Amino acid sequence: MKEFEYLKPDSIKETISILSQFGEKAQILNGGTDLIVEMRDKIAQPEYLVDIKAIPQLNRIAYDKQDGLNIGATVALNEISNSKVVQTHYPILVKACKTVSSYQVRNRATLVGNICNASPAADTAPSLLVLEAKVNIIGPTGEKIVPINQFFTGVKKNILKKGEIVTSITIPPIKGKWAGVYLKQGRKKEVDLATVGVAVVCIRDEIRIALGAVAPTPIRAFKTEELLKGKTIDVPLLEKAGESALTEVSPISDIRSSQEYREEIIKVLVRRAVLHAKGGHIL
Amino acid sequence: MKHKIRFTINREVKEIEVEPNKTLLKMLREDLDLIGAKEGCGAGECGACTVLVNNKPVNSCLMLAVEVDGKEILTIEGLSDGTSLDPVQESFLKHNAIQCGYCTPGMVMSAKALLNRNPHPTEEDVKEALAGNLCRCTGYQRIVDAVLDAARKEGKK
Amino acid sequence: MLKYVGKSEKRVDGIKKVTGYVRYTDDLKLSGTLYARIKKSPYPHAKILRIDVSKAKKLPGVKAIISGKDVPIRVGLYLEDKTFLAIDKVRFIGEPVAAVAAESEEIAEEAVSLIEVDYEELPAIFSPLEGIKPDAPIIHEDLGSYKHASIILPQSGTNISNHYKIRKGDVEKGFKEADFVFENEFYVPHIQHSAIENHCAIARTDPEGKITVWAGCQSPYAVRRTLAVAFDMPLNKIRVISLAIGGGFGAKAGTTLEGIVIPLAQQSNYRPVKLSFSREDVFTNTFIRQGMHARIKTGVTKDGRIIAEENKFYWDGGAYTEYGVNIARAGGYASTGPYNIPNVKADSICVYTNHPVGGPYRGFGMSEIHFAIEQNLDIVAYKIGMDPAEFRRRNALKDGSSTVTGQVLENVGLMQCLDKVIEDIEWDKKEKRVSKIKYRGKGIACMYKAPSMPNNVGSSAIVKINEDGTVNLLVTAMDLGQGSDTVLTQIAAEVLTVPISRISIMTGDTDCTPYEWQTVASRTTYCCGNSVKRAAEDAKNQMLRLASLKFGISKEGLELKDGQIISKIFPDKKVKIADLAMGLTMPDGSGIHGPIIGRGAFIPPDVKDTDKETGQGDKPVAYWTFGVQAAEVEVDIETGEVKVLKIAAAYDAGKAINPELVYAQIEGGIVQGLGSALFEEMKIEKGKVLNPSFVDYKIPTAGDVPEMKISIIENPEPTGPWGARGIAEPCMVPTAPAIANAVFDAIGCRINSLPITAEKVLKAIKNK
Repeated sequence: MKEFEYLKPDSIKETISILSQFGEKAQILNGGTDLIVEMRDKIAQPEYLVDIKAIPQLNRIAYDKQDGLNIGATVALNEISNSKVVQTHYPILVKACKTVSSYQVRNRATLVGNICNASPAADTAPSLLVLEAKVNIIGPTGEKIVPINQFFTGVKKNILKKGEIVTSITIPPIKGKWAGVYLKQGRKKEVDLATVGVAVVCIRDEIRIALGAVAPTPIRAFKTEELLKGKTIDVPLLEKAGESALTEVSPISDIRSSQEYREEIIKVLVRRAVLHAKGGHIL
Repeated sequence: MKHKIRFTINREVKEIEVEPNKTLLKMLREDLDLIGAKEGCGAGECGACTVLVNNKPVNSCLMLAVEVDGKEILTIEGLSDGTSLDPVQESFLKHNAIQCGYCTPGMVMSAKALLNRNPHPTEEDVKEALAGNLCRCTGYQRIVDAVLDAARKEGKK
Repeated sequence: MLKYVGKSEKRVDGIKKVTGYVRYTDDLKLSGTLYARIKKSPYPHAKILRIDVSKAKKLPGVKAIISGKDVPIRVGLYLEDKTFLAIDKVRFIGEPVAAVAAESEEIAEEAVSLIEVDYEELPAIFSPLEGIKPDAPIIHEDLGSYKHASIILPQSGTNISNHYKIRKGDVEKGFKEADFVFENEFYVPHIQHSAIENHCAIARTDPEGKITVWAGCQSPYAVRRTLAVAFDMPLNKIRVISLAIGGGFGAKAGTTLEGIVIPLAQQSNYRPVKLSFSREDVFTNTFIRQGMHARIKTGVTKDGRIIAEENKFYWDGGAYTEYGVNIARAGGYASTGPYNIPNVKADSICVYTNHPVGGPYRGFGMSEIHFAIEQNLDIVAYKIGMDPAEFRRRNALKDGSSTVTGQVLENVGLMQCLDKVIEDIEWDKKEKRVSKIKYRGKGIACMYKAPSMPNNVGSSAIVKINEDGTVNLLVTAMDLGQGSDTVLTQIAAEVLTVPISRISIMTGDTDCTPYEWQTVASRTTYCCGNSVKRAAEDAKNQMLRLASLKFGISKEGLELKDGQIISKIFPDKKVKIADLAMGLTMPDGSGIHGPIIGRGAFIPPDVKDTDKETGQGDKPVAYWTFGVQAAEVEVDIETGEVKVLKIAAAYDAGKAINPELVYAQIEGGIVQGLGSALFEEMKIEKGKVLNPSFVDYKIPTAGDVPEMKISIIENPEPTGPWGARGIAEPCMVPTAPAIANAVFDAIGCRINSLPITAEKVLKAIKNK
């Protein structure tokens, strides 16, 4: 790794100031599970590394019925999946967090880090999309809230501007009975990147669908949701849903999978996830 | 610019100066001569570098040494007290869960961390906890059996 | 009654390993160490026009820089076709063209980036089928002048570095007489051993010109010899020390990076130079398993007897095939699998390509050919309407059968293995449809393997009896994890009647431990075990002789029991080993004989060359190991995912010196085989390895392990210690074809290439 200066601010204000001052030369060190590998491979070569893990406000999980779930930027994935409130109120998120890499990595990798890294295959993203999470950002011009749907802007690109950081993610409360699932297809059942990821929630009658690893960003399948709206779920409709989802994404061939295979799996996982969220059994 | 860090390593307090671009793994191996943690991939994929930081298993190749300031580290060398082995270690020996031994330190630390947080794991729990520790020699079954057996024995106590 | 042999004694190196105490090469700290890095070729095939190290030399902290001209002598185990650094041209992406030693790894890396190399690209070859074409660009122009073992047959002027032939009987006649003739093709890609320890080597010179090399080597003596040739030095001036080895599987056999650190060390004023490979380096710069295209033509009668077979194996040997040529040969002399076929024509051809270097991988060609052979058998069985297990029974080698080289066999345990596996996998119970989308199937595969080694290579062992009757055992058989330290100690304990705790084994130092050809080929228990047995017997005989003098009783009247020599008739006439260890003191106070040093050496008896044209020979190998595996799989027919539920395995180990260690080996082999079956593939495009890391080269993890039911059969190998034969490699060989055959049973689709990915399976289902 190239040499750099290591800074450890203890406030958000100080962090913003450092980031504004050094611009491209500074990068945030959060969980480090993506960044340190990139630095080792000399893909990332920051001159200033800004460790945000000493900022107390960023390290909290809070839940209340009115505001929902708030997860701070430095909260590790294992903390989230082990949290009673998350297990009780957002089990889909527990599953999504647990599909990331290995237990050791999940002790360091963070939810916010996962979305800021903005890989199209980010495992937490499809679930956050269907939960309609909101991303809380602070920057030199003040605070703002961005719906997760607008947060990803391209392959490994997010909406953050110079000097801005994500302080937390808020997941709105869900009223009434609901169910959801995140299905991940990889080359192996564990410790692998997603070749296709599908998250579906069914809140009363509303179905929300999101896909990962099959477009430049994780993406909601609004057309497909519209197709299913108000209709009874049966096998022909599920098949149509799969076909429809395919038209909303643009899977590619890469080292992990061919485009053709991804296309098949998209259909299968959308079918299965919708069925599961509706309380059916994947046969 | 070197940073002064102070941490506990295997129950001993230590203060050293490190460059920020040194990983925890390199610091353990080069500065503290704790060579049990190994570099099998340098990218958080193989788990051979697993140590406990504040009782949590982490890939030490993905942490910077400066990040352990104020923390407690436990490595394989700190597991036995020099006269008797930890029950997890005893169980690995009993079940023949070791062949070349290279993945063993990381595997034992992951297992130890599991039993610390979940004294009664199922076989699934064990496999999930060890999913990030690669082994090429044993085929894993004996390792899983060793961990379950260690849990049973500790549970009886 | 055996006391130590046949018992599951605890590993003698277990505590060292479980406490993290044991040191592997990268753990060794020598003061003053310099760090090396290599400059790699970006082209698969190119002429080197110019190497300019001037900028790198000026960098503070750089101590030495070398290039090919510093190590110009060609070396190689079976064919001397490689140099440690490229000379005049590069033949694969990643080939080292220069190397630097510097005060730190960072400085060495920066120095490497400052080395300038100009290349002229040449047309390259990426498949053996391309390489054999008459107009193919030639990768080794001087092939005709390379020195090689007599058993290797390189074809000068081509890219063929070995062409092994079998011509047994008359295949044309056989095909004419057959009721059915089938032709099938199979493909196996390159894969990588992925031992968890990355390669590392340290070298240091001394003022007397002696070189010491530390590395995790399966073969310290082979390394010593290769280095002696490369550096034109006498053997006694090179010392190779192998520390603990974190996994071998063939990856650490022969030489890889040892020859790079030596010339750097020679320019470093006696400071040690260490080269540590990263995981990425290991993928591109150490041995990979050869890829292989197989074509099998089978002539079979209505009643299910195979009467003719024609096999063509084209091996993707990579840029250097110093080792690969013998893998092609092994593929040749085993080409039909463990079956009794009267007419066989086989051509096993090792071809140069501009891929990374192919080399020994657990199985030494057997996994590759059995993937083809065992699926082919299944295809034929189904086509003629016969149960695949029954078809194998009908054609299997049995006592009195002759192999493809004409060797007549005895003690063939194959049928016992098959019977056990059929029972353990519950072959006759087929639960096909678990649900609408989950289908199950069972498949079987047989295998055989012989240790692939030159006919005349040996092992040796030294037993030193200490003054207190404890023992030091010296061998250069290396414990890669398979447990040889423990097994060899058990053998010594059995002969000397001394408890295992009173024997200390030392290995891996060419200055002190005696010659061992290599720890490969599943030969260690057999070859070194025999040597240890003989060394212990030699020590025992010396002590019997001394005791005979002491008591005036003939040797035949004495026996060694519980660490004492005791008279068979007069039990009060006894003497402890300790009291004979330094020789015999006579009643008048004088001493005779001196310290007891037992010496043993072993070469497998009567192993002979085969005919160059026909491949026929009556004992081309020391022994054959037979084994069978069966797999039960579940396929998700919507995603194509294959889950292996259960593997049943049975091996004829002859005599399991340590049964637990044998079971452990088989478990590891099965899981490694499962990896090659379902996940593993080096994705190489135009010579570039696209997945040189565990992110995209996936190996099995704890969650992938199936239920395993393992049995050990024991038909003694007459020339083995207590009948033992090797199983270390055989236990990986049939896993992939067993799984492939199970997939066919589940979904009716053949996947003719590895790995059996969900993608391939789904495509096959959709195309059905």
